[in-house]
Amino acid sequence: MKYVQYINSLLKEHVSNNDDLVLYGQNVDAGSCLSGLTRGLSSHNRGLTINTTNSENSLVGIGFGLMLNDISSVFFMKQMDFLLLGIDQLVNTYNVIRQKRPSASFTIFPVTVDSGYEGPQSSLNNFDDFCSIAGIEGYSFTNNVDAASIISKHLTKPGFRILSTGQRILQQEVLDLQNLYEDNDCNYFQYKKGDDASIVCFNNSLSYGLELHNVMRKSSIESSLFSVNSHLYSNYSRILDDIRGSKRLILIDDTKSRNRLSDRFLVDVLSECTLKNKIIITRTLTDESFYPCKDTLDIDYNKIVNDITL
Amino acid sequence: MEQKKIDIIKKIIWLRLAQIFVNQRYKKGDFLVPIHLAMGHETIAVAVDEAMGKQDSLFLTHRNIHYNLVKMGTLKEELDEYYLKSDGLAQGHLGSMNLSNPDKNINYTSSILGNNLPVGCGFALANKVKNINGVVIIVTGDGAIEEGSFYESLLFLKSNNLPSIVLVENNEWSLATRINERRANIDFSKLANSLGIEYLSLQENDPFEYKDKISLIRANALEMNSPVLVEVKLTTLGYWYMQSEEHPGGKFINYHGGPAPEVDEKEYPQLVSSNEDPLFPLNNYLSEDELIDISNELSEQLKEEIS
Ligand SMILES: Cc1ncc(C[n+]2csc(CCOP(=O)(O)OP(=O)(O)O)c2C)c(N)n1
Ligand SMILES: [Mg+2]
Repeated sequence: MKYVQYINSLLKEHVSNNDDLVLYGQNVDAGSCLSGLTRGLSSHNRGLTINTTNSENSLVGIGFGLMLNDISSVFFMKQMDFLLLGIDQLVNTYNVIRQKRPSASFTIFPVTVDSGYEGPQSSLNNFDDFCSIAGIEGYSFTNNVDAASIISKHLTKPGFRILSTGQRILQQEVLDLQNLYEDNDCNYFQYKKGDDASIVCFNNSLSYGLELHNVMRKSSIESSLFSVNSHLYSNYSRILDDIRGSKRLILIDDTKSRNRLSDRFLVDVLSECTLKNKIIITRTLTDESFYPCKDTLDIDYNKIVNDITL
Repeated sequence: MEQKKIDIIKKIIWLRLAQIFVNQRYKKGDFLVPIHLAMGHETIAVAVDEAMGKQDSLFLTHRNIHYNLVKMGTLKEELDEYYLKSDGLAQGHLGSMNLSNPDKNINYTSSILGNNLPVGCGFALANKVKNINGVVIIVTGDGAIEEGSFYESLLFLKSNNLPSIVLVENNEWSLATRINERRANIDFSKLANSLGIEYLSLQENDPFEYKDKISLIRANALEMNSPVLVEVKLTTLGYWYMQSEEHPGGKFINYHGGPAPEVDEKEYPQLVSSNEDPLFPLNNYLSEDELIDISNELSEQLKEEIS
């Protein structure tokens, strides 16, 4: 099953368990329904489903207005870059609304654009900055386990947050994993345990981490594998414990943010753990990064296997 | 018929042929960048090109291929841009949805709805500061005008007396929603009127009427130092009917972007036998044989150009 179909089935199930929900966004109930993401949701939704105008700034404000009047909503969006038009509402409105501790829920559900070929605009793999600008809770998901937990815990929880997954993985087969540990609020998940190294993935990097874990195993290096889902800083104690044990960290972050959450995490690692080795894989952004080009990270897994044990 | 008129007819047919060439490659999976074809938008693009003065400038949207091609007059550079080659129109740095060409007075193009309107306003203001006597032409769509920047920009252009044309290409669709599936109707003439802005409505794709009217309102914009609002009603061709059990007669699928599955090369590239196809009204001016001859000649030229 494609990941987009899987997420769609989770959404359908969750939506049918809620009353008076407003689901809205451009083309949510028309045409390809956001490449299948929102297909059929209207028939499961007992509240309103609206194909809206192209007016993102207002559409973000509308979610907050619904919330003030105790109605929960989800605003689906084809690309995260369109959410830039709603920054005023995301910051200024939310800063007032958050103090009211609303009983209703408002979730914005954009797809993070990481195909890279859209060109300088319409290409914004940059969830961290949206969350950082007003301390907005944000969760990304990459596989069966984290998507199921995050959607069931956060989609209609009172308060406001952004949930997102990557455009590329949505069209791939579901990454079918089992987790060893899940942080209470879905801030991070652990998928593998090994004593020789700790792999920690941010944003939508888990597939790289998994590949690395498997390549390392072939060389008899056992690694732990974590993925951090929350884009706000949280308590990473279990990951830090693991790194204290392995003393070897491999951090992978595929965000295009210049304001990476993983840098903040590194501060914790460096101040709390004694390391024998660390390999940090992030992007170096230049003007050329904004030409149409593939968004994937080029990772030399065998080199990492050699270097990490040095 | 005057040569000038024949040249206009040729431009329209060439624009269609060039887009069909792009579509043939697109259907084969040649391009990584998303492209929004504009078959059905040829008449307005040619009229704008014909009416533009040397100091005028264009501000475009995600659907910009018609203006880019007509201003360039050749296909090769645009095709290479879609292939992201270094000898593409923008060295492969812009792809399709942001493709501009300042050498040909296409000063900015944005894939973000409503984004080009304020940038066009700023450009027009700079013209005023620099005493440049040009008209800024900002193209937008019936979907993009739902962004607040549309109203804000009209207000700014009028408040600052900036010679400009805001041109709404109204194809009735935004992705897969028709206007009446997403919003109330907007009466552009009343909207323009409320701001003291002249309004022009175009439809039915008569090439010479379009050219004359656009030239006239361009002159008015310059003379009155004011924006003009133009709404051109058109059909984005490439739509098709999907057969299914539920819809035995076929379900209408509008064309938004990507390859047009049912558009192929053929002897004469007219797609529909009605005025919704810019090639159809050309029959009022030239015989079928004359049109086919023009098409064959242009098609050969195109093949040679990109071989
Ligand atoms: C701010 C923003 N929101 C959403 C989109 C996604 N989008 C791309 S094209 C399009 C439809 C635009 O309709 P219209 O302006 O009428 O142009 P058309 O495609 O019909 O030519 C939408 C919603 C976008 N590009 N920018
Ligand atoms: Mg439209």
